[in-house]
Amino acid sequence: MDIRMMEIRSRLLTITREFFLSRGYLETDTPALAPSLIPESCLEVFATEYVHPIEGRTPLYLIPSPEIWMKKIIAETGRSVFQVCKSWRNAESRSRIHSPEFTMLEYYGLGLSSRDNIHLTEELFSALKTELSPSQALPPFRIMTMKEAWAEFARADLDALQSAEAMREACRQRDLLVSPATSWEDAFNIIFLSLVEPNLPQDRPLVLNEYPAGIECLAKDIPGTMYKERWELYVSGIEIANCFTEMANPSAVRAYFTSQSMKKKDALVPHNVDAEYADIFEHFPPCSGVAVGFDRLLMVLAGKKDIADVQYFPFAGMGNADSRRKSLQNLNFPQ
Amino acid sequence: MVRGGEINIGTCLLINGNPHIVVEREFVSPGKGSAFARVKAKNLKSGNVITQTIKTADFVEDAQVDLVDCQYQYSDGENFMFMNNENYEQFGVPISLHEERKPYLKEGETYTLVMWEGEPIDIKIPYKMVFTVVESENYVRGDTVSGATKPVVTETGLVVRVPLFIKQGEKILVNTETNDYVERVNE
Repeated sequence: MDIRMMEIRSRLLTITREFFLSRGYLETDTPALAPSLIPESCLEVFATEYVHPIEGRTPLYLIPSPEIWMKKIIAETGRSVFQVCKSWRNAESRSRIHSPEFTMLEYYGLGLSSRDNIHLTEELFSALKTELSPSQALPPFRIMTMKEAWAEFARADLDALQSAEAMREACRQRDLLVSPATSWEDAFNIIFLSLVEPNLPQDRPLVLNEYPAGIECLAKDIPGTMYKERWELYVSGIEIANCFTEMANPSAVRAYFTSQSMKKKDALVPHNVDAEYADIFEHFPPCSGVAVGFDRLLMVLAGKKDIADVQYFPFAGMGNADSRRKSLQNLNFPQ
Repeated sequence: MVRGGEINIGTCLLINGNPHIVVEREFVSPGKGSAFARVKAKNLKSGNVITQTIKTADFVEDAQVDLVDCQYQYSDGENFMFMNNENYEQFGVPISLHEERKPYLKEGETYTLVMWEGEPIDIKIPYKMVFTVVESENYVRGDTVSGATKPVVTETGLVVRVPLFIKQGEKILVNTETNDYVERVNE
C-alpha cells in the first residue's frame, strides 16, 4: 500500500466513525477471541487456545465477524451499535478480493428494516466518496430483487423452482453440471454463479434484494413468500456488504443452529457452539444489521483492483513471500 | 474424477460427453453459501467456451488424456502438422481450434500434445522458450519516452518487449504465459 492509500484508509475510517457517532450509534470494541461461536456452515474459523499455567488449556476462536458480541450488546442495551474490527475466515482461497484476515464494518440500527439500511448505506457511500471513486461505486444504488435478476439473466421463474429436483432440472436445461444428490441450495448457487452474478449490471452499485429462504441465515422471513428480508450489495461485480432485517424469533434461531450444526459436521476446523446464544432473542428489539468488508469497500471507492492494494501488509500466509517483500519495498519510509 | 477444489487451468473435464479444457478458474463463495470453483472451459471439439460452477467439495468427471511428445513440422494453412516422436506417425491439429498457439510453434521443436481417445485436443506450450528476433527497430539514443524497452518480432510472429540492447538476429528467452522477455541467450 502506498502512502496515498494509507492516508485514504485513515481518512475513510475516521469519516465512518463520525458518520455513525453523529447518528447516535454506540461504537463497540468487542473481543477478537471467542470461547464459542454460532454454527455457520458456510465458513471455517481459526482455532487457538489459552494456556493457563495451572488450569490447563481452553480452546478459543478468532471471530469470523463481531456479530455474536454485537447482538448480545443490542439485547442488553437496546442501542444502535457499530464496530470496525479485524475478522478472520479460514480455508478460503486467497485472491484479489479475499484475504483470510480482513477488516469488517458492522452496523445495527434499532427499529430499522433492511430497506431502511439501503438508504443509510447510500448515505455512507456519499460520505466516503474520494477523488479516486469511479462513478460505478457511487450512489444512487440500483435495486433489483433476486427474482428479477433470475428472470433477466437465467430466464427462469425463481418462484417455480421451490423443490430441489425442479432446481436441478433447471441446471440440466442450461447444460450446467449437477448430480442427483445436489441440494437445492447448491443447485441455486450453480445457476446464480454461472448465469446471474457474472451478468449483474455494474454501471452503479447494485442491491440484490430478497434472497430466497432456502439459503439459511438469520434474516427475517417475508411472510407468505419464499424470500427473506436480506440483501447483498455488489459494486463493480464485487460483493461488498450483506444486510438482514434481523431474525428475532428464538425458536427460528434455534432451528437455524440445529440445521447449521448438522451441515457443519464435516467442518475442517470444528468449534464449540454457544448453546445459550439463542436465548438473547427472547427479548431482542427489531433491528437491521449490515456487514461490510471494509477492505473491499476501500478497493471500490479508491478504484483499486486488488485487496492487497488497500491493506498495510498483505496477508502473511504461506507462499506469499514475494508480495510481502513487495509491500515492504512499497512502504518507502524515509531512511 | 476430479474434485472441484483441484480443478486448475489446463485441467481436462468431460462435460456432457465432450472433452473441455479449463481456460479460466476462480474460487467464489456466495454470501452464506459453500465454496465453488467457477470455470470457463473450452470444448476441444467445437471451440465453444462455456461456464460451469462446481462445488469445491464435489467431484466431476475428468477426461482421461494421454500426453505424447510430438515434433511440430509445418502449417498447411488449415492444420498444424505434427509427428509423433515414438511412432513417427503424422497428423494435423486444426488451426481454427488452436489459433492462440500459433506464435509459440517453432518448426522442428518438440511439444507435448494432449490426446483424448486417440485425438489431439491440445498443444502444451513450454513455460519458457527461446526465439530469434527477426524484426527490430533501431532505437534512437535519448528516446526515453517509451522507457528502456522496445517491441521486437520473433520468427513465429510473437511481439515481445525487450531491452534496447537486443539486436535483430539475436536469441531471447521468453516467458510464454506473460510474453515477457526473460534474458538474452548467447550461443
